[in-house]
Amino acid sequence: MTNITRSSSADAVGKEHFRLRIEGFGVGTWDLDLSTRELEWSDTTRSLFGIGRDTPVTYELFLSLLEPQDRDRTEQAIKRAAEVGGNFDVSFRVGRTPGPGQWIRVRGGLVKDEAGASRHLSGIVLDIDEEKLLEEALRTRENHLRSILDTVPDAMIVIDGNGIMQFFSTAAERLFGHAEQEAIGKNVSELMPHPDRERHDGYLARYRSTGERHIIGIGRIVTGKRRDGTTFPMHLTIGEMQSGGVPYFTGFVRDLTEHQQTQAQLQELQSELVHVSRLSAMGEMASALAHELNQPLAAISNYMKGSRRLLSGSLDPNTPKIETAMDRAAEQALRAGQIIRRLRDFVSRGESEKRVESLSKLIEEAGALGLAGAREQNIQLRFNLNPEFDLVLVDRVQIQQVLVNLFRNALEAMAQSPQRELIASNGKVADDMIEVVVSDTGTGFHDDVKPNLFQTFFTTKATGMGVGLSISRSIIEAHGGRMWAENNAAGGATFRFTLPAASNES
Amino acid sequence: MADKGKVYVIDDDEAMRDSLNFLLDSANFKVTLFETALSFLEALPGLDFGCVVSDVRMPGLDGIELLKRMKAGNSTFPIVIMTGHGDVPLAVEAMKLGAVDFLEKPFEDDRLIGMIDAAIRQAEPAAKSEAVTLDIASRIATLSPRERQVMDGLIAGLSNKLIARDYDISPRTIEVYRANVMTKMQANSLSELVRLAMRAGILND
Repeated sequence: MTNITRSSSADAVGKEHFRLRIEGFGVGTWDLDLSTRELEWSDTTRSLFGIGRDTPVTYELFLSLLEPQDRDRTEQAIKRAAEVGGNFDVSFRVGRTPGPGQWIRVRGGLVKDEAGASRHLSGIVLDIDEEKLLEEALRTRENHLRSILDTVPDAMIVIDGNGIMQFFSTAAERLFGHAEQEAIGKNVSELMPHPDRERHDGYLARYRSTGERHIIGIGRIVTGKRRDGTTFPMHLTIGEMQSGGVPYFTGFVRDLTEHQQTQAQLQELQSELVHVSRLSAMGEMASALAHELNQPLAAISNYMKGSRRLLSGSLDPNTPKIETAMDRAAEQALRAGQIIRRLRDFVSRGESEKRVESLSKLIEEAGALGLAGAREQNIQLRFNLNPEFDLVLVDRVQIQQVLVNLFRNALEAMAQSPQRELIASNGKVADDMIEVVVSDTGTGFHDDVKPNLFQTFFTTKATGMGVGLSISRSIIEAHGGRMWAENNAAGGATFRFTLPAASNES
Repeated sequence: MADKGKVYVIDDDEAMRDSLNFLLDSANFKVTLFETALSFLEALPGLDFGCVVSDVRMPGLDGIELLKRMKAGNSTFPIVIMTGHGDVPLAVEAMKLGAVDFLEKPFEDDRLIGMIDAAIRQAEPAAKSEAVTLDIASRIATLSPRERQVMDGLIAGLSNKLIARDYDISPRTIEVYRANVMTKMQANSLSELVRLAMRAGILND
């Protein structure tokens, strides 16, 4: 604490010289007599406050010149210095009408007399208007900058050359879960998971020595670590700057979590779309096929039936046999037409012609169609059908297609098996659903195949199209049922599907 | 032996024409073949009465257009329409335009021959077709009110879903009704159901 002491008149003369010299540089002086509250202002001081040379100044006048919001603060500071001693340094605006007040800085201290009693406060007055304006402009700009940084969704972090965080934006607070005060001063490696966490200081050192840029100005996807330890994918861009000869690095961080989720969703959507477009392609194909194939099928049927008519009345002993064969051939042509028609209706409209049908009849008929030659291949067929759960509401042609398809697959799967047994059975799974189970003793399927089993154009067969199971499942689902597959105890495959039971009264 | 009457077959598919010629000839009809509807219409003024059997989807003049022109010309020739691509709206349109029947390829020979027979023997069919109409009417009479509503929806070309929405019942229940309708009406396909409904006079312009 330095108190200015008035010692001698020689000193006073010297001080007067000094005072005059600093007055020339725009520095004013003042002196307050604490006992009389009289104020003494130098010319410069007077002109800074806008007070003429002849106007007597008092402490009260001084206070009245201050802008109201600065008055209390200033008075307090002066009072404290007078009572406790020590220096004071206050800045305030002097009211001027019109226009903004002029900024003035007053510094001063307590002056004691020879006896050590506090008599005067005295000090200097400076014009700080320019500094204040600069300061304000700077502050406005900083606020602007801050508000911009706060609104930018990317997080921004500034570190110094040693990796110590200097700035931590609001978005960074949100992203990493650290508060700004908490983050600043810490090493930025805190925001990284292993192994970057341990290596980051090394990265900085390497850049310092080699100047080789690995990430600066390039940008890269890295992993960030939140305060709670969870990690997330982020895109990091780094810029470098020099401030006062010291390097600083600014990092912009974009959270990619959502981006990656969107990406995944997009992919899912895309594959669904592919599936749908394949389905609609199948619909179109079925439609075109229906038209194209129905013509030759109709022609076959016509030729057969015409021949059959011409043959009647023939005396050839083989006539009955030939007639039967022709009838059957014509029937098959009609059946083929029906399959195509139903398939087309189904694919294009998702509807089918349902009737109450006997499950055992369906399975037996499908067996006759799909298992031709099975007995010659030494395959044992077992139909364990419970007559209690026999009636279903289905499209006969479609369900037979499903069954024929499953039977054919089973035959192929068992071609190399020592034990060859195909079992079809039924049971009740819910009040209104009947389950059909088709098991074989083939090779079953690998776990990696399972999820794709029912996908369109997926096949494990060398010559397969990958349409059979996909259509089968679509058919079952259009019937309100479900279809799935599993490996069985015998090492083979078991396919299960459910169908709506037909109530007896309908 | 061709004495059961004349049949004019119109189809752009050669195998279809030839096989129909073979079938109908074996059934004792006198068959004349046309590749396009236009060539048939050109020849029409010089033709004796007979039954026309025409494909619906053909390049140039299609079966529906043929029906319209025959109707406009007050032709008395009965027309059977065949299609390789049957759908309900098309069947309804054909029937409304005066087709005696609508067949989906491939079809049973007996059905086609029976139809042509009936169409040609127009002199006597009044009684028979009345009997047929009565028979269909009696089938319709066996339908429950709900089944009748479902049938009306089906012959209007509505899907199960739309019918379900109209009557506020589940599509699955509609399926049950639909199965019952088809069984009771003895219809094998929707277009056949439409034909039966036309015969019974349910479906009018």
